[in-house]
Amino acid sequence: MEKQLILFLIVMLPVAGAFFLPVVGRFSEAVRNRLAFLLVAASFVLSLTLLPSVLNNQVITISQNLPLGFNFILTADALAVFMAMVSSFISAIIIVYSFTYISHYENRGEYYLMVVLFLGAMMGLVFSGSLILLYVFWEITGITSWRLIGFFREKQHVLRADKAFLMTVFGALLMLIGFIRLYVETGSFDLQVIKEAVKIHPLSGLTVALIMAGILSKSATLPLHTWLPDAGVAPSPVTALLHAAVLVKIGVYVFARLFVVTMPLDIPWMNVIAIIAAASALVSAGAALIDTDLKRIIAYSTISQIGFIFLGFTVSNEIGVAGSLLYILMHGLAKAGLFLCAGIIEQNTKTKDITKLGGLMYTMPVTALSFLFCSFSVMGIPPFGGFFAKYMVIAGTLQAGHLAIAFVFLFGAVLTILYLFRVFNMVFMGDVGSSSAKEGSPSMVFCVALFAVLSLLGGILISYPNNMIAIVIKQMITGSIPT
Amino acid sequence: MTENILIAMIVIPLIAGLLSLLLPKKGCGVFALLAAAVNFILAVSIFNKELNLTFPWAGFGMAFSLRLYQFSGFIMLAAAFFGLLISLYSLSFLKDKDYRRQFYAYLLISLSFVNGAVLANNLVVLLFFWEGLLVTLFGLIVIGGKQSFRTATKALVIVGLSDLCMMAGIALTGYLAGTLVISDIHLGLGSLGGLAFILMAIGAVSKAGAIPFHTWIPDAAVDAPLPFMALFPATLEKLLGIYLLARITLDMFKLDAGSPLSIVLMILGAITILIAVMMALVQKDYKKLLSYHAISQVGYMILGIGTCLPAGIAGGIFHMLNHAMYKCGLFLTGGAVEKSTGTTNLENLGGLRAKMPVTFICFFITAASISGVPPFNGFFSKELVYDAAMQRGWIFYLAAILGSFFTAASFLKLGHAAYFGKSRKENKDAKEVSVFMLIPMITLAAVCVIFGVFNYLPINNFIKPILGARAEGHNFTGSSVNMTLGIITVLVLLGAIIHHLMAAKIMGGGIKAAEHIHHAPVLSVVYRWAEKKYLDPYEVGVKFVKIISKLLWRIDRGIDWIYESLTPSAALFVSRTIRRMHTGYYAVYIAWSLVGALLIMLFIFR
Repeated sequence: MEKQLILFLIVMLPVAGAFFLPVVGRFSEAVRNRLAFLLVAASFVLSLTLLPSVLNNQVITISQNLPLGFNFILTADALAVFMAMVSSFISAIIIVYSFTYISHYENRGEYYLMVVLFLGAMMGLVFSGSLILLYVFWEITGITSWRLIGFFREKQHVLRADKAFLMTVFGALLMLIGFIRLYVETGSFDLQVIKEAVKIHPLSGLTVALIMAGILSKSATLPLHTWLPDAGVAPSPVTALLHAAVLVKIGVYVFARLFVVTMPLDIPWMNVIAIIAAASALVSAGAALIDTDLKRIIAYSTISQIGFIFLGFTVSNEIGVAGSLLYILMHGLAKAGLFLCAGIIEQNTKTKDITKLGGLMYTMPVTALSFLFCSFSVMGIPPFGGFFAKYMVIAGTLQAGHLAIAFVFLFGAVLTILYLFRVFNMVFMGDVGSSSAKEGSPSMVFCVALFAVLSLLGGILISYPNNMIAIVIKQMITGSIPT
Repeated sequence: MTENILIAMIVIPLIAGLLSLLLPKKGCGVFALLAAAVNFILAVSIFNKELNLTFPWAGFGMAFSLRLYQFSGFIMLAAAFFGLLISLYSLSFLKDKDYRRQFYAYLLISLSFVNGAVLANNLVVLLFFWEGLLVTLFGLIVIGGKQSFRTATKALVIVGLSDLCMMAGIALTGYLAGTLVISDIHLGLGSLGGLAFILMAIGAVSKAGAIPFHTWIPDAAVDAPLPFMALFPATLEKLLGIYLLARITLDMFKLDAGSPLSIVLMILGAITILIAVMMALVQKDYKKLLSYHAISQVGYMILGIGTCLPAGIAGGIFHMLNHAMYKCGLFLTGGAVEKSTGTTNLENLGGLRAKMPVTFICFFITAASISGVPPFNGFFSKELVYDAAMQRGWIFYLAAILGSFFTAASFLKLGHAAYFGKSRKENKDAKEVSVFMLIPMITLAAVCVIFGVFNYLPINNFIKPILGARAEGHNFTGSSVNMTLGIITVLVLLGAIIHHLMAAKIMGGGIKAAEHIHHAPVLSVVYRWAEKKYLDPYEVGVKFVKIISKLLWRIDRGIDWIYESLTPSAALFVSRTIRRMHTGYYAVYIAWSLVGALLIMLFIFR
């Protein structure tokens, strides 16, 4: 009973608490900021308390049937708790960074409301045991991110926000049709029921394709990816939140939840998705080498790395799937760090154009070093955490016998090194461009340095995340992954 | 308890490296020297021991597993030896440099990673430390100056690319063998096994600096601090690269003389020798000339190991050790000249023999060693390689001996230009460098002599045990030198001397002794291309990637056009069309309604 309460609170604290933030903000800004942090931190801490029991193979469920075949089901298994911990942890740091970043803009109340609500919806989505609940939370994340991308209210920004919203909702509606077809085919929205049902009746291809459209649009994967680079007009903590930690991981998480755990896809489907992921990784890496806008480049890099995560999930073997889970963690840490660095640079130099920047190594040493560390992690260079993720995904791919795809991704990894160093060299090395630039505020610099250090520690202390992932994998595999 | 010393080999230099970042600039050099000394003493103390250590690490078959045995102990000892000498040398060389704290930190961390990579008995642990060296490599080059980040990036991209190949090779090897434990892997060279071998070999030979993974080394010679050149391209990278190449050919895969891959390796070795030495011949900078030789000499090692004959493998590994000795020594003499005269441009040097006698003697010995002059150490390892190459085909021998001719020619040119001839006004104040810099140079020169005259010492103690069963019944020491080949070598060297003297006389001056080759027909065109970097695989590759990424960018923009332009205009078109239907005439609306009703009727009563 108590565990179920915790599970309920993880989701409901941020979702309900978010609406109090603007009210509190009327009285005291400082209290509101701290409350926002506490709500998100509470989600993280509460997820942490669930950890021991889920690692002991317990599954915590809240289930309430509603009329008309709907139901409210929250399920906490190892995969969900892992995902919840990763997202709430990164979000909590991003909120600390927001304190100074957002302090001199309008509409701060709305900002905190949307960010915390977003995180709450993410928690709800992660723990959803029912497709309809999952869809509801999915759309809440879409609406909040629409408000956040257009946060600065400029005409161009609002258009970009609309574009992101329309593209993801387009995918989501297709996914909803897929869910309804699934309901017709299996008679339930309950994932457990569906899991049993699809063992007898295999899924129809159209259903899979419809659901995939939603997943690809949310995870910004080719051909539904172009909203993500455009969304870079958002405030930097938001781009970090959207791109790195949470939003784009929704798609891959739901992919793992539905198509790896609940209803494993056939090999041909997996191969198609691997090819889509490969194309996505290459196209966006190429674009990252050409674009000159700092945030757009990092966004393209995210699209490219999401390809690696998809790849690991499609190979249907232990090491590949484990690699993808680790990738979610390591990429989240490193990419959040990169975006927050970009935020400091943007705020202090008033430009995002890398051709106009240069020499910031000498004026912003901590930011520069953090950027470098996070880049190393994204490139997959040891001793940084990204190394293990990349190795495991590639090893899984080779184990599955996809030689050609593995080499496409290796080429993608080379491009990753090239574009990240292109950015690093143009922004931080060479001649000092805008001389007045100085280091960001202490709390902002602390946050980026924290992400950099965590990326490094993630590699050195690899045994901790990987031990946990091993258990997650065991739970996912019992009765799920075809051998 | 004794197993923990393996952990200490990794942890002590690492922590010392991190600490030296925190120490004041004055003390960090001495501190680093002490740490390097501790590392060396530890390496000596565990040499020739066998230790195993395994504890769980990253899961999924990736246990943290270390294994000390003959070969790994030997490489670690050599690395610690050079690390110690170079930190002593840097004490004086980097005295006034702002970046010395970082230099020592990276040096010590590199030593830690080298120890880790060499001790690793799990492929992922190996890769972890091996690839981790990229970070210190980048750091060591980038501290060289404001513009050296370009070279640092180039190095990181080239080595990173080959490390990614190695990552794929390791993943494939682990999958084929069913284990990642190195000592349990014995694979055949089937189709996938062959691919795995090639991928691993790419990692190994590119770390050693073979063609076409070499082009960052001459650039680094200009941009990076000099002790870096003596430490990385001259020694540590050779030790690691050749160590791995020997491991994969000797025990992880069963490569034998009949395999086509053996021929591939030999061709790679021969090409590396020739191309790099031809480039070295025309250089006019002390350090750059040496850097091309650091590439060229790898060719001998790869050629030797590629022969898959006991003599060749022994020669290749022995040559690796010798090369580390004399090339490290040569770079250190280059550093002494730089410190003393402020330049390494040969056109501004001359007559240093009288002003820097000790440096000159060290240069003379190490240059004689690299040219393969008996009785210095380079002669004996080269003879082993020649012998094996001759057995596999005269063409390989020809490449090797031709390489020797040009090596000798380029060192005659270098020595003549820098140490003989007239003293220039630019370096009239040159004087001998401090004793901290002389000690490492003298040590290395002395070892070159000892390992040459008493070559049975290193061969019987270091090299032979590595080959294990393969070495049985073979004698690799000096007395086994094939007399015919030995005499040919001496004749070739004499030819090089005569060639140099005549060319210098005709062209006027030692530095111009290779100009006739530089400007020979056909060759001059190739040289011009090479100098414009048309032949640099990195530059070509980057251009290629630029084109590819422009194409990918177009695809991306094309997809975006669908959402940005096509969809809105389609929506506008549809809504405009529908709007036009709303004409405001009742009659039209009634007609539409009737048509609609008719369609519904048809649908229901069909």
